[in-house]
Amino acid sequence: MSADSETKGGVLGRGPVFWGALFVVTMFGGAALSSFALEGPAGLIVRILPMALLIPLVKAAERRGRATGCVNPVIMRYNRRVLFSSFGYVLGLGIAISIWNAYEVDRVTAFALALLPTLPTFYMIWAMGRYLVEETDEYLRYRTVRAAIMSLGMVLTIGIFWGFLETFEVVPHVWAWWVLPVWAVGLGLAQLWMKVRGE
Amino acid sequence: MNNRLKVLRAERSWSQQDLADRLGVSRQSVNAIETGRYDPSLPLAFTIAEVFDLPIEAIFLKDGATQ
Repeated sequence: MSADSETKGGVLGRGPVFWGALFVVTMFGGAALSSFALEGPAGLIVRILPMALLIPLVKAAERRGRATGCVNPVIMRYNRRVLFSSFGYVLGLGIAISIWNAYEVDRVTAFALALLPTLPTFYMIWAMGRYLVEETDEYLRYRTVRAAIMSLGMVLTIGIFWGFLETFEVVPHVWAWWVLPVWAVGLGLAQLWMKVRGE
Repeated sequence: MNNRLKVLRAERSWSQQDLADRLGVSRQSVNAIETGRYDPSLPLAFTIAEVFDLPIEAIFLKDGATQ
């Protein structure tokens, strides 16, 4: 298959933008449905199913990357590791919440339940660190480190400010695990910022 | 830091991707170095010099230096 046809073909003829948009829509739809209409295993399934869309999303992104020469094996390995950990996270979180809602658990079991969604996120953090170790292109590594530091600055700024707002009862309590999604959003925003500035 | 990467590349009729392949880096890296958005490390600068078969100072110039 030629590079051109690979770029146009994508997965099932669709590109990464299509699969990304479909993933976001179904994730929010599934979350809303399981929060308001579905409970128990059905709710868990509705939450997990959209994760399957990450497979064609990553495959389409890699296919496009190969066709345009913008992807390397290190990035592909990183994508697959993050995909694997995302599956583990959603599955672990779903199981933990289902057990928590259905049974009265003791302190030790609660500790084990907390580990279910936590361990996959540890793997995700390891994958990010591993990417920096494995990336041989110093410019791409520099960009990622820069975006990560900008994002860290954002997390610290928001965290400190929110913490004091919480102390003085201006805002509600936010669980500490939010640092990872906020950092991930910050990473994306930082990369977008660098792209817009032509860096 | 200024550099003569674009001129040297054009003299050899190499695309950015050609040079990137020779250096073992991404095309984005070559573009960023060429446009002055990124100064390469010393090891990469030496590799660039090797690829063009020129001394480093014939490729990279201090800000304000004439090419």
